[in-house]
Amino acid sequence: MASDSPPTNFNNDPSSPDDSLSSPIGNTFSSPGDTSRRRQRRRRSLTPSAFGTPQRNRSRFASSDGATPTPSRSRQRDASTPTSTDDIPASSEGGDGYDMEDSRPTFVWGTNISVEDVNDAIQRFLRDFREASSQNDVDELHLHTEGKYEKMIKHVIDVDGESLDVDACDVFDHDPDLYTKMVRYPLEVLAIFDLVLMNMVSRLNPMFEKHIQTRIFNLKTSTSMRNLNPSDIERMISLKGMIIRCSSIIPEIREAIFRCIVCGYCSDPVAVERGRITEPTICLREECKSRNSMTLVHNRCRFTDKQIVRLQETPDEIPEGGTPHTVSVLMHDKLVDAGKPGDRIEVTGIYRAMSVRIGPSQRTVKSLFKTYIDCLHIKKNDKSRMLIEDAMDVDNGPGRSSEEVFFDKDKVAQLKELSRQPDIYERLTRSMAPNIWELDDVKKGLLCQLFGGNALTLASGASFRGDINILLVGDPGTSKSQLLQYIHKLSPRGIYTSGRGSSAVGLTAYVTKDPETGETVLESGALVLSDRGICCIDEFDKMSDNARSMLHEVMEQQTVSIAKAGIIASLNARTSVLACANPSGSRYNPRLSVIENIHLPPTLLSRFDLIYLILDKADEQTDRRLAKHIVSLHFEDPESTEQDVLDLSTLTDYVSYARKNIHPQLSDEAAEELTRGYVEIRKRGNFPGSSKKVITATPRQIESLIRLSEALARIRFSELVEKHDVIEAFRLLEVAMQQSATDHSTGTIDMDLINTGVSASERMRRESLLQSIRNIIMEKMQIGGPSMRLLELLEELKKQNTGSEVHLNDLRNAITTLASEGFVNMHGDSVKRS
Amino acid sequence: MVGPQYDFLLNPLGAVRSTFDQAISSGSDPSSFNGRDWGAIDLFHNFLSDHLSQVPVLTAATIRRVKPNTLVRFRGMIQDMLGNEIYVGAFKDGSVWRTNKFMDVNKLMADSHFPMASSEDMAIWERRLLYCVPVPGLNSWAEISPEAVTNQCMDWPPEQREKRRRADDDPSDMLVSGDEVQGSPNTKKIRGEQPSVASHSMGAVPEVAGSSLNIVPDLDGNSPPCIVKIYDSPESELRLNDIFEFVGILTSDPELDEDNEDGDLSNEFCEDPLHHFPPNKVPRLHCFIHRKLVVQDLLRKNPIIQPTPDLIKGIREALIRHLTAVLGNDGVAAHFMLLHLLSKVHARVDAFAVGNLSLNLTCFSKETVSIFGNQLNLAVKNLLPFTHHIPLTVEYLNNASLSPKKNYDTNRLETGILQLADGSHLIIDETKLEAGTLNSVGVENARLLKYLMECQKVEYDFKYYKMEMETDVQLLILSEGKSNILPAEVILPFQPSAASCSEAVAAEAWEAWRWYLASVKQLTHSIDSEMQKVVENDLVAARQADRSLNPQDLSRWLTMGRLISLSFGETSLSLEHWQMVKELERLRRERLK
Repeated sequence: MASDSPPTNFNNDPSSPDDSLSSPIGNTFSSPGDTSRRRQRRRRSLTPSAFGTPQRNRSRFASSDGATPTPSRSRQRDASTPTSTDDIPASSEGGDGYDMEDSRPTFVWGTNISVEDVNDAIQRFLRDFREASSQNDVDELHLHTEGKYEKMIKHVIDVDGESLDVDACDVFDHDPDLYTKMVRYPLEVLAIFDLVLMNMVSRLNPMFEKHIQTRIFNLKTSTSMRNLNPSDIERMISLKGMIIRCSSIIPEIREAIFRCIVCGYCSDPVAVERGRITEPTICLREECKSRNSMTLVHNRCRFTDKQIVRLQETPDEIPEGGTPHTVSVLMHDKLVDAGKPGDRIEVTGIYRAMSVRIGPSQRTVKSLFKTYIDCLHIKKNDKSRMLIEDAMDVDNGPGRSSEEVFFDKDKVAQLKELSRQPDIYERLTRSMAPNIWELDDVKKGLLCQLFGGNALTLASGASFRGDINILLVGDPGTSKSQLLQYIHKLSPRGIYTSGRGSSAVGLTAYVTKDPETGETVLESGALVLSDRGICCIDEFDKMSDNARSMLHEVMEQQTVSIAKAGIIASLNARTSVLACANPSGSRYNPRLSVIENIHLPPTLLSRFDLIYLILDKADEQTDRRLAKHIVSLHFEDPESTEQDVLDLSTLTDYVSYARKNIHPQLSDEAAEELTRGYVEIRKRGNFPGSSKKVITATPRQIESLIRLSEALARIRFSELVEKHDVIEAFRLLEVAMQQSATDHSTGTIDMDLINTGVSASERMRRESLLQSIRNIIMEKMQIGGPSMRLLELLEELKKQNTGSEVHLNDLRNAITTLASEGFVNMHGDSVKRS
Repeated sequence: MVGPQYDFLLNPLGAVRSTFDQAISSGSDPSSFNGRDWGAIDLFHNFLSDHLSQVPVLTAATIRRVKPNTLVRFRGMIQDMLGNEIYVGAFKDGSVWRTNKFMDVNKLMADSHFPMASSEDMAIWERRLLYCVPVPGLNSWAEISPEAVTNQCMDWPPEQREKRRRADDDPSDMLVSGDEVQGSPNTKKIRGEQPSVASHSMGAVPEVAGSSLNIVPDLDGNSPPCIVKIYDSPESELRLNDIFEFVGILTSDPELDEDNEDGDLSNEFCEDPLHHFPPNKVPRLHCFIHRKLVVQDLLRKNPIIQPTPDLIKGIREALIRHLTAVLGNDGVAAHFMLLHLLSKVHARVDAFAVGNLSLNLTCFSKETVSIFGNQLNLAVKNLLPFTHHIPLTVEYLNNASLSPKKNYDTNRLETGILQLADGSHLIIDETKLEAGTLNSVGVENARLLKYLMECQKVEYDFKYYKMEMETDVQLLILSEGKSNILPAEVILPFQPSAASCSEAVAAEAWEAWRWYLASVKQLTHSIDSEMQKVVENDLVAARQADRSLNPQDLSRWLTMGRLISLSFGETSLSLEHWQMVKELERLRRERLK
């Protein structure tokens, strides 16, 4: 049957004159029902729009009969209007078929849209649409390559699917007129769409029994829930929101079968019409004809799934002083349970209104309408993010952590325009925490952290992080915490913890037993949760050593390894760490090194790309600026002082766009500059004529520099890291280094301070001290001779080394070293040569 | 424009209909209205500008007396927004257009055809639903007394408030009204009512002042919650937690009582919030006109005619005297108290709220707090319109629901204690706090309070995310030592020297003080460049002398400077007042030592 019936249909069908073109491809097919069934569901509302409902109902009968799809289809084709799906003998409302025979050019009710035109347009679209890349050579390839949607239809048939996703942008590209009609009269156009699709499917595979639905998505404009208004009713809209409630699944009756209690005659299925089913008042059997005898046979009725979902506005769309709006979304069939509460989704659907009746039995209606969205397609926003592999990507949507930020063209153009401004770097810096005054270099560093460098994984498996870690050390009251809070607010999955309140497991991950099932469960801690975000740790110095040691792995390898209770796992923690610490003695002591001031293990310290010292210098100039700043805060219109500053949302958009779309590469020039600069810094450690070797930079710094320069290029939306980026990166690093890694006794940068906690000059001093003690001991003591007290030794030492001060502590340390060499024995305070 | 062939008060819908018919007959197409006004609102605007006082106020007491479908007014805070409602705005009854605006059910429509034949025959419009409640913590003196309803003279419309207040609201002032062109026909009438105003308010207020019992806001006597349906107004005009006066048509159609089980949307879960508010408990108000209320509007009358500097100074001194007495002769505390009462958030720069001055009075013991705490509470209640008192205990923290929560089952924002109107005052008595364990609710509540104090923002819990709402709440903390849970801006050890005050305060004095606090608070403030230099120099010098001063301290000084000049009714900072700030700060620091 499959072989001959489709051609017959099409030849008979005047509305598809071009099927000769497509039939060669056609190898398959069948189907009507589901589509029309859905259509009908849409129809159920009381909104008056009298377009061809009954016909569609009947088409469903055809499909449900199963055995007779072919006749129904051919009849429908005879009828020549695609909307009048068919007419079926079982129909109890035969009169409804009025528009089938006579009205040749059928218009969608109340409009000037010709059904035939739309039908043709859709056919053309489905058959001819090709992606832009292949569009150029359409002419040659027309018959040889398949269109995008033809391919998709075949795929749907292959996988036995139920729906075809149609990108509305494709429709627009192909036929803007069709797009407009579709958005304006979605019910009507989609009905035709489904029909055309049905025909195509039945041509491709006549045996295909399922009903493929069209699911439109990706409309060109997205509405905000707040702006939905009466004029949107019955139009196709798309909006974003968060699911807050899902109802249970409601079985909705589609067809009812009634049986006569007198004679047992079963009626033909009765369809739902306008939301209700008419119970036959009289038995249809000629012999019986009893009145009011029909009862519903529940288990022979057909039901479909339905679900009502409440969608709420996402927080960023709510104006100040408002509460979020909500809207109901009706999901059917496959869409049921497609989302769960908490999901952020983008819905494409038809905005519908339904009048509210006062009572179930009353015919009077309130003058009110309930509105809802008949869902056509939903797209989960966070699902798409998980598909993206590249680290440092996508999810820098500050403030809307779990939501991918989509940028429309205008926005992108605006951002690009912004990026072309020569002073964009300064402007962004100014826009960062504008109320925190000064600290420009720190802000620049933080800006780099927000933008981030490129993560790199070599073929060998070695990976380099792209995240920039920053440590702020400073006096109390220098607004470190505020900077941290600001970044936390701005950054994507920022987690804010306080060192005092964080434990190692709280930061990384821990294993618990599920109280119910007894299974061991891995619970993520702050660092894992802020994967691809910024983890802000306040009071870093107050953190327990144990917790801090966990950070080693995170900050360089960007993973958290767990080996506990039978679970061995390595979790990603690709997070930038922004920590701030107070100096150990409440105020920074400039005479001590950073390490001594903050009591952090050097191993950890070296993992920070930038370490800033925010010192409260007793400087009248800065105090004056502070005073000015505060006075202006109080007495000037805050708007007037900050006109030149980007607002928070632009800033976040800018950052997220850059992180998502810009992946700068080092230019040759920049690479050269990098090498040159590095060598120069290394050279600075070698003073001519001095045996002292100061390490001014380590390979870790090169990595930092690359990351910083990449971030700087990103700030400019540039795909190429240029020389001046590298120079600025050097400057940033140096500013940070000068503040933190300066050896106070010599005034040079000394990476050893960070790496080992002891500066090179200090090490040299210890060396010489050791030597002189050794000499003294050699002189004064014999092997096995009497012991000497430490204080005596100190006296002796002072006599010899008149130049420098020697402390008892230094001496004790030196003796311990000597003891470990086996040179002396030490018992309490007495030293004995061994 | 339209003759008074209908009674605005008793048949406001008549006015709506006739203006609608007029608009139609003059050729307007209802579908092109798109829900916009066709002249009815102007009509009511004109009417109400003269007759507002005659509109009955909707309160618990009057709700039974007010007839449905008449004009009422209602004062309340917007507690929740129930979204928009789409309704049939106009429809064709036969060949005649009718409107449904400002009503729930139209009998004509119910009788006529169903379903509506086509979209040609009706226009679908939109209105907003607001759920309004009586202002939380409203003190009885600020309530509109139902007896005085007809005697109330409200200023109207809002644009003319400044001008009209002096004319209408203080009829005893014979000097004005010469230039009050538009008000003049009515001044006579208002004057006629004068005696009753006086007798009522005089009769009512001494009670309030005299006994402490009356001061506690009587919740039962408060007006009921009300669903207000707003037409034709931009969304930005009405914000959550704003206090408004609405004038509109009261409807409580018993027919609507029946549940609307029809729609398949409603029988799954009752997402229709209206479902939870039976109209017999929560009346509906179709609003014609709304206006935002400020504290002055809540005063029964404005005692001051022309605020002269001397007058303000006098009031200020009297108030300081009273506060000193209340605070057991602690003058410094009284000064800080006054500044605290005058503070409000006047600007926000990023996360910072500028202008608020929270006060922490320390060195309270169980005994002193029972005396002075109560006195203070009483005084604040009498001075400010919206006040709250929270005895902070572990139990309270663990159980109270401070932050408003969205309940998705009912689709309602369930209010929390911290959902407050701007300008609310909160006394937190920390002396009751004892050692104990906080559960997760308690920790969250403590965090919320701290956040409120630091940023003047409250997090509303929307289950899937938190939303920050800006508020403006004055916080006064009474504690034994410095409060760490609630780090206030000013910490002042309280040093009473006298036991208690039993000073009776005249009603007029209260009135004057209330007026003083309300109006002085609203003044704008600036600083001239010379003074700015002085201030800057002082700040720099102070910081050079004492490195422990942080920017917050300096910022507080400026806030205090601003508040001190405001307390004298001045709009710019003078050197004298700046010196006062420094002196106050010096006295405070001495006490801290």
